[in-house]
Amino acid sequence: MNPLIKHWQYVLVAIFLVISIFSIVTNIANTGQPLNYGIDFNGGTLYQVELQKQVSGEEIARIANIISQRIDPGGLRGDSISPVGGKYLMIQTAETNPIELEKIESRIRQQGKFESTLNGEVLFTGDEIKKVQRKDGYGVAKIGTYYEWNLPFILNETAAKRFAEKTFHQCTAISFTSAGKPVYECERTTFFLDKPNATILISEEQFDFDEQELLLGNTFINVPAETSITEVIEDSRINVVTYSTKTGLDKNALSAALSATEEIIVSPDIFTSVKSELETLGFTVSTEELKENEPWIWNVMNARQIIRLSEGITNEDVANVSQAKIYSQLNISGTRENAAVAFQDLEELAILLESGSLPTPVKSISKETISPALGKSFLDNIVLMGIIALIIVAGVIIIRYRNLTLAAPVIATILSEIIILLGLLSLPFIKQPFDLAAFAGVIAALGTGVDAEIVIIDELTNKAKRQSLSLFQRIKKGLFIITTSALTIIAVMGPIVLFSRSMPGLSNLYGFAIVAILGALIGVLITRPAFTKTIEIIMERSEKEEKKN
Amino acid sequence: MDDIYSKNYKKFMIIPLIVIIPVLYLVLFSPGVGLGIELTGGNVLIIRSETELSTPVIEEILRNNFDLSEVSVSTINSPTGYGAYIEYSKNQKVIDAESLIEKAQLAIESENDAEAILFSVEAIKIFSEKETSFDNAKTALVAAQDELAKYNEIFSNNLQNVLAEKLGLGTNVEFQRREVSPTLGKASLDSGLFVVAISALFLIIVIFISFRQVIPVLGIVFAMLYDVIFGLAGMALLNIPISLIAISTLLMVVGYSVDTDIMLTSRMLKDKEGTPGQRATSSVKTGLTMNATSLAAMLAMIAVSYLYQIDIVFQIAAILFFGLVGDLIATWFMNVSILMWFVEGKK
Repeated sequence: MNPLIKHWQYVLVAIFLVISIFSIVTNIANTGQPLNYGIDFNGGTLYQVELQKQVSGEEIARIANIISQRIDPGGLRGDSISPVGGKYLMIQTAETNPIELEKIESRIRQQGKFESTLNGEVLFTGDEIKKVQRKDGYGVAKIGTYYEWNLPFILNETAAKRFAEKTFHQCTAISFTSAGKPVYECERTTFFLDKPNATILISEEQFDFDEQELLLGNTFINVPAETSITEVIEDSRINVVTYSTKTGLDKNALSAALSATEEIIVSPDIFTSVKSELETLGFTVSTEELKENEPWIWNVMNARQIIRLSEGITNEDVANVSQAKIYSQLNISGTRENAAVAFQDLEELAILLESGSLPTPVKSISKETISPALGKSFLDNIVLMGIIALIIVAGVIIIRYRNLTLAAPVIATILSEIIILLGLLSLPFIKQPFDLAAFAGVIAALGTGVDAEIVIIDELTNKAKRQSLSLFQRIKKGLFIITTSALTIIAVMGPIVLFSRSMPGLSNLYGFAIVAILGALIGVLITRPAFTKTIEIIMERSEKEEKKN
Repeated sequence: MDDIYSKNYKKFMIIPLIVIIPVLYLVLFSPGVGLGIELTGGNVLIIRSETELSTPVIEEILRNNFDLSEVSVSTINSPTGYGAYIEYSKNQKVIDAESLIEKAQLAIESENDAEAILFSVEAIKIFSEKETSFDNAKTALVAAQDELAKYNEIFSNNLQNVLAEKLGLGTNVEFQRREVSPTLGKASLDSGLFVVAISALFLIIVIFISFRQVIPVLGIVFAMLYDVIFGLAGMALLNIPISLIAISTLLMVVGYSVDTDIMLTSRMLKDKEGTPGQRATSSVKTGLTMNATSLAAMLAMIAVSYLYQIDIVFQIAAILFFGLVGDLIATWFMNVSILMWFVEGKK
């Protein structure tokens, strides 16, 4: 039988090598990167947000949710937000532009500006909502095969009165049921959060595209089907000017807009020459990027929801506005096929009505930014560093043992430890990104790995011991030493892993500690048994030869 | 040379005791080890460039363009490029406004709206001349936050842009920027110290379970402490402040150095062949190989990270290097003598 298959130790290493290489290659094919790199290598920003006071686990999860909706609605940029204990939050984003970062920061810190509009008029704003009732009537209930969610909230007096006036008779009877009751079709109100105070310049092509997209609807960003672009623009009360390459800039419309605000946001297909023309007119121009398959204008306006009124509140039963009943308590509801989705809808909307204000204010925000250019150079250099360190270690081993039969297995073991360690880190379900701290963890794991291999060789080849102890006893002694040393690594690094999700600051070290522990485990459980077997086979042979002589 | 210890081990003990004196002096007195901004709070901007950066030029640009209360600039030149390390504190306006806004938030929380409006209006005054009045506390707070955000936005953008422009760095700047609040710094320091204490406790438990004899376990613990002090001395010499990464590197020093001590202790206590002196001497050979590979790898890391200015890796490798040098003395002069004395004494 092939000696490589005869021993389980080799089979084990081979299995893990195959898994690791497969996982790394799959990653390269999918993302162009062997591992999920952290901001140290890809560039990006890490925020550490400190809250005014300690809150419950449930509450901090809600705060994380609110922040996520405010800085990255729909999760488009892929920001990750995670609570650390009950007082801190960690936010990772790929953004590095200082202006954008400052925007994110003020979104985290500040309350948002919410407004609900109908026919180009404000129904109510965030300040006018007295309270979103998270106790009475709030929640998801199963009705038949559907799940209905309900979100009750209370308006202040002024807003309630305005609401009654503006929504009066906003439903039309379109047919009658068999019982003779009218069936209504009602107008829709648009919700905005942090609507920009700026004019919007949109190219004709973009306008046409957005018009189609809004008609089609998009459930990911809460656009219902049949949404009309003109209605949304009317509701936003933003000056929207279209631009055509044929007729050029509409100077009249623009000068009217300029008197309201100097800020102008342009669609990405507007030429630089047009932008400078706008600047000479006195505008401050910024370009908002296009997100794939989404109506550009919807995102630029920060429109968030479209909600249909119900005939229950539009006072269809009275003829005159003066008779309209004023409702200060309103309710938004919807149905979903699945409880989890219904709950998500409800939570998202509740956050919106609360203007994304945090139940506990933010005390301080710390941040660290690494530019993509610097990250790239870090990555190149540590790869170089790793290779040089490997060559040097191999050199020391060869010089020390002056025997390739012993040095070769050491080097092969180091290499397989690196491949398996990186391979396991590249598995899709491992969320830990590879950063400089994780690289330090790899170095720690390899260092102790080499140490362990040297101990095994010296234990097994020690002359004094070979006279009094059998090969098996010598292996046992060697394994005791390396297991103890692996356990010490786990003991030292364990507390970092244990507390990094609950204590501030330690999350920076999580990668380091978890990689060092993983490396120690790979060594003891996977690669070192094979290494010991190899040295054992080499020793058996040489002992036989010695006896012959 | 199969027994270098039997006759001399008591004399060997003197060497680590003498060496530790200047090392402790480095750590405790001069130059000493300070806390990094990660643990004290503060702002740092690190820029890398292909053209030479000079400290006075950068200082002047900052002084002429920004109203910063404290600035310290240091530049690094390495064969592959130049770097500048700029530490600054934000100007007083921002600090004042932040504290007023915090007070306003607390007032809103305790439903004292009038006070909240007062604080918000005061905060707005810091940035703009215009008189403001509000009847809604939340609106006032938002307005104050808006002013602060606007000011910060302009500041952040300018700091980087002005430097990039005046120093001719181009658009694709290699920079790293860190802003740490003092309260987060303090909290991180607390967690760091806490974790070190727990790690040390776990470590002692593991070693005690493995060897179950007080003196040898103490020998290992002393050796680890010795290594950590050497690591700290390296930090003092190279002006590396204590940061979270430095704390974890010191834990790594422990992890590395304990390998040789475990190997030595295991051979001294559990093996039966030869005299204790012979066993110690054979351990030296194995141990030196272990230390040599680690030291060589660290030297490579130090060289590359210095050349390419990878601050973090340079710090890790340098601290480890010093720790491992300390381990040579701690293990092969100190711990070995303690073990010789313990084993000889038991006879």
